[in-house]
Formats: sequence, structure tokens, C-alpha cells
Amino acid sequence: MILRNVAIRHGRSALAAPLRRSFLRSMTTDTLTHETDALSHSVHNHLKETHSIEASINQLNLTKTFVPPSDAGESLDSIKTDYDSQQRLNKRTGKLGSAVEKGYVPDALVRNPPKPADVTLELLMASQSHLGHSTSLWNPANQRYIFGIRQGIHIISLEETAAHLRRAAKVVEGVAYHGGLILFVGTRAGQGPAIVKAARLSKGCHLFEKWIPGSITNGDQILARCDIKVVDKDDVDITSGFEDKIGDWKALKPDLVVCMNPLENYIMLHECGLNNIPTIGVIDTDADPTWVTYPIPANDDSLRCIQVIAGVLGRAGQEGQGRRLEAAKTGHITWLPPPGLGSPETAEDKKAAANKVRRGPPTADEIAAEQSRGKSSKQEMDDVDGEL
Amino acid sequence: MKVSWHPATLKETLQCASHPQSISFSRQRVINIRPRNFTTSTRLQAGIAAAEIDFGGRTGKEKEPPFYARLVPTSASYFTAQPLFTDDLLAVQTLVERYSNLPTVKPGEAPRVAWRPLADYRDSVGEVVQASKYSKIIHALQRLNHIQASLMPEPVKDALNAYKRNVNPFRNVVKVAPIDKLGRSLGAGRRKASTARAWLVEGTGEVLVNGKSLVDAFGRVHDRESVIWALKATDRIDKYNVWALANGGGTTGQAEALTLAVGKALMAHEPALKPALRRAGCVTRDPRRVERKKPGHVKARKMPAWVKR
Repeated sequence: MILRNVAIRHGRSALAAPLRRSFLRSMTTDTLTHETDALSHSVHNHLKETHSIEASINQLNLTKTFVPPSDAGESLDSIKTDYDSQQRLNKRTGKLGSAVEKGYVPDALVRNPPKPADVTLELLMASQSHLGHSTSLWNPANQRYIFGIRQGIHIISLEETAAHLRRAAKVVEGVAYHGGLILFVGTRAGQGPAIVKAARLSKGCHLFEKWIPGSITNGDQILARCDIKVVDKDDVDITSGFEDKIGDWKALKPDLVVCMNPLENYIMLHECGLNNIPTIGVIDTDADPTWVTYPIPANDDSLRCIQVIAGVLGRAGQEGQGRRLEAAKTGHITWLPPPGLGSPETAEDKKAAANKVRRGPPTADEIAAEQSRGKSSKQEMDDVDGEL
Repeated sequence: MKVSWHPATLKETLQCASHPQSISFSRQRVINIRPRNFTTSTRLQAGIAAAEIDFGGRTGKEKEPPFYARLVPTSASYFTAQPLFTDDLLAVQTLVERYSNLPTVKPGEAPRVAWRPLADYRDSVGEVVQASKYSKIIHALQRLNHIQASLMPEPVKDALNAYKRNVNPFRNVVKVAPIDKLGRSLGAGRRKASTARAWLVEGTGEVLVNGKSLVDAFGRVHDRESVIWALKATDRIDKYNVWALANGGGTTGQAEALTLAVGKALMAHEPALKPALRRAGCVTRDPRRVERKKPGHVKARKMPAWVKR
């Protein structure tokens, strides 16, 4: 249809346009009739051709519903119909034509973050994780992570980055597997979406605004109004039976903190240190790697690098949570309830919650197995605690 | 070659270099090295105190397995200390992102919406939300409000309605006073205890207040000027006739009530004069009334005179 419009418009303009003066001058009176005949013939042919093209296009039924835009004032309805028809057209003709190569999609890393297995040196380099700071700004503690100097800035060794990132992914996965609470922190401008995505994947918490000092050391004051809930082994909410205990329960503390910009969050890392909370941090060449438990030497100024790291750790957490729920389905519980929480207050509540947990009555074998598992899981927890 | 101070692996390499036949031996040795356990906590815990005595296990009485329940934050924004606000912000921003491809109206052409004020929002979430943070929500809402009305998706409508004020002041259109078939417009005004009505008709500048001419009705020149101030400020004294009724109060009150009445009647004829009339002070009602007398005072504020003894 568009093609037809173009052809008709051009045909019309070709007909309407005055002949060039030089062309007229070159023509004598006797040749003039021949020339005009030839011209009219060619125009006729041209029109015929456009008609045939139009007919063949209309046969395709691709553009039957398309109405060419008119100048006579667009009403709201026309905008809606235009939009709908455009959507239909895109849907039908989107696959036609040449294949477009992959372009740069700014939020691709946030929408579909890479897995720990996808971490390659190429990916890290493409996301600019090797660029450090000016050599004059370095912290000598990072010497072991530095590959060399180029154009006055330190280049971080990508092998170190990849190794440390994989190790951190293992830690995140382990904490998620053991039912820990993971907090992702990235308070620089633009880090929010990646942080939120990572927290959503790993069922953790996110923080993309300022860390309120004392949220861990003085949490009972600062987080007093923030609600907590009780979940069972399958992460299903237990709605009744714990109201009183939740009411005067202390504020929660994270079991692992992942910090994308340790330089700005010293207070938070210090609080984590005071409470024996392990931390993972992106350490640029000007940061102090001893502030965090598990450093990841990388460029913390690049949003793409942060998106890769947050994405990888988020995916690792997702994997850990998935494994934990899988294990819980088979009756293997990888965590221990917090001391003092106990069981629901009334027997009915307990029964209601227990019905959710277990469908049939447990056999003696199951109980024994569970007990041994409980012991082993406690052992594992201790190991993890010690390790962290 | 003296190799005793080298690290183990390097030592081994050097040994291999100097004595090629000893490779198998050294590999054997490497494999047999026990993996080092870096964890000391279990041993430490065991060392601090004696292990817990299990009274139930030995006697055959099965220990009841623990009730598996754990505590988690209700919201992922737990550590922001403003979980409800942060969740709201993320919800709105998610909508903006999801519907960013829908056609929008031009920047000035979106319907004007009065958003809920910050204090109202604070009350509803019960958190101390800074104005700068609430403005982020408003910013996202304004972007959503620019989506074409006919293509507005349901979730966006719901989100917008949740943040709209219950009353939209921008839909409140000022009623225009009508002009009757004889060409008269009626305006009413009040000042102090006086009320006044003024009918304005196109004419030559005659003024009748309560059936009397302006000179007869008001003795003070200032009051006479006040009555026709709306016409004087807009240079229309000789274009309209005024027929007015005023009652209650005193002369000043009646004159200034008439100012308002004439001004409003004039706006019915020429609505475009409103800004000029507002600048001239013929639109706003002066709310001041006589202040009440207080006990212990002679008048509203006057104190009794101080008398010696």
C-alpha cells in the first residue's frame, strides 16, 4: 500500500512537472510529437507496472487493515486504531526482510543476567571490569589483583576477577541453600535496577539508597516498623500461631551482605564486622580489600560490570534457593529454626501449619532419617558459620 | 642447589629439574598430603565446653524434631527502613519501564492531575518519607500520566488513581455569571457587615446606588471612588451603567462591597479583564470582620488605663 502511494505520487509528479527548458530547446517541431508520444507511452507503461505491483501486494493480504494516515485531525480513537494496526503489522511482517544483527540493549544484563557458569574473561572484559583507577590512587593491598599499568591506570587481572567472582557465587549459593538472608547493597546512582533484580532472584533484600547507620547494630530502633513474617520449610507463610513472638522479636540481621561500592559503605561493612556477618564486595584498585570478607577485584565505576557481578551473584542465590526448596520437598531441611522461635502457640495452629509441611503421617524411618539429617545439617551450619 | 627455603611446589620443580628420575616419587608424596582443614570453629566449640548431654536419646525416648519455621522480612526492602515506600516506588517504576513503548501525548497536553500531598502519603504508609523521595514517585506517575488516554492500561489506571487526590481541583471550572436578555449582568459582593448587588449594563456611565446618585449615596470622595473602582481601573467608566443595591454595615463597608459586586458584574461582560481586576483588588473578598471584645479588655485589645493605687 505504501509502495503504491509512493508510486502514484511520483507518477503524478512526473506527469505534472514541467519539462525542462533545455529539453524543450533540444526538440524541434517535427520530433516533438514523437517525443511526446514516447513520453506518454512510457508513463502509461509505468502506471501499468505500478498497478500490477499493487495488485500483487494486495493479494498478499498483509496490509489489508492498514489505513494510511490522513491529515484531518487525529482523534483519540484514531491513535488507538493506528497503534493497534501498527502492532498487528509488526507482528505479521516482523520476521520478513533481512536479519538484523544483535544490537546493544542497555538493560539486557539486568533483564537476563548471566549465570556463574557463563562467567568468561571475554564477558568480564566486555563489561569493562578490568579498568582500575589511576596508578596514583591505588591501594597497595590490591597488588596481587593487578595485571599491569596501561595509560596511567591499573589494569585488574581478569583471571583473578573471574576466580573471585566464582568463589563469591559459591558463597552466595551456599548461604541461600542454608536459608540465609542475603542483602544486596549498591548505593551509587544507576545501580538500583541490577541490585533489585539480584535480590529478587535470590529472594534476598536490596538497598539502593543510603545505608542508615545502625541498621544492624541498632536495628531494634531503626527497623522497628519493618514487618517480618514466619515461613515454613517450603517458604509458605505461617499466618497464625506466632503473632506474639513476631511482635517482640528482635530486628533481623542479614546473613550475608553483598556490597557493590564498599568505598561509600564503610559504616555498613564495619557494622557487619562487629556482628560477624560475612561480606562480599567489589574492590577497585583504590579500595581496601580488608574491609570485606570476600573481595571481588573489579571495576566498581562501570555499571555494566556491576550488572554482570550482581547478576551472577543473584543467579547463584537463585540456584541455592532452588536447591534448598528441592531438598525441602524430599524432606531434607538444610537449616535450623532460630533459637527461641519454637512451635506455634496453639495445637490447632501447629496442626494447620504442620499439614502444610507434611501430607501423610511420617514413618519411623523418616523420623530417624530426619533426625540424622538435622544433626548433619547442624554440623554443616556450624561449618558454614565457622567458614564465614 | 640449595632449595630448602623455597616453597614446596617450587622445591619440587627444582628437584625434578635436577633429578628427572624422582618424578614419580615426588608426585606420590604430593597426592598423599592430607587436605588441610581451614575451619577451626567446630573444634573450638567442642573445646570450650563439654558436648551437650543427650538425655532423651539413650533411654529410647525419641526426641521430637524441631518445628521448622524461620523468620524472613515481609518485604525485600526491609533494610531500607522504609519498606512500604520503597516497594511503592519500585512498583511505579516497574510500570513506567513496562509501558515505556506506548504512545504518549505531547509534554504539556496531559490531563492535569493533583497528586496526593506528601503529608497524606506519609500518613497512609506510616513512614518518615522525605519530600525528595516522594517526588521520585510523583515523577514516575507524571510519566505514566502522559500515556495516551485511549491506550492507558488497567494497571496504570489503578496506580494513577491510588495517588490522585480525592478531589481534582483542576476539574473545577469557575461559573461564568450570565447576562440576561436585557444585557444586564449581576454581581454580588460583601465587605465587613455589608452586602451589595450590582447590575451592570452597557451605557454612558450613570450610577445609581439604592436609587440615589453616587454623590447622594456616599459623602466621602474615597467611597465614591471605591464604588466605581473596577470600572476606573479598567478605564470603562463611560461604557457601563450601574444600578446597585447595598445594605447592612456602614458606608465604607457598603462602598467596598460594591467594589466587589461591580467587579464581578464586569467580569461577566468581559471575562478577559479578570487579571487586571485582580491586580486592582476587585476580585478578592476581604475576610476581615470586627474583632470580638475580650474579657479584661475595654475593647478587642484595649486594656483599661493604669491607675495609681
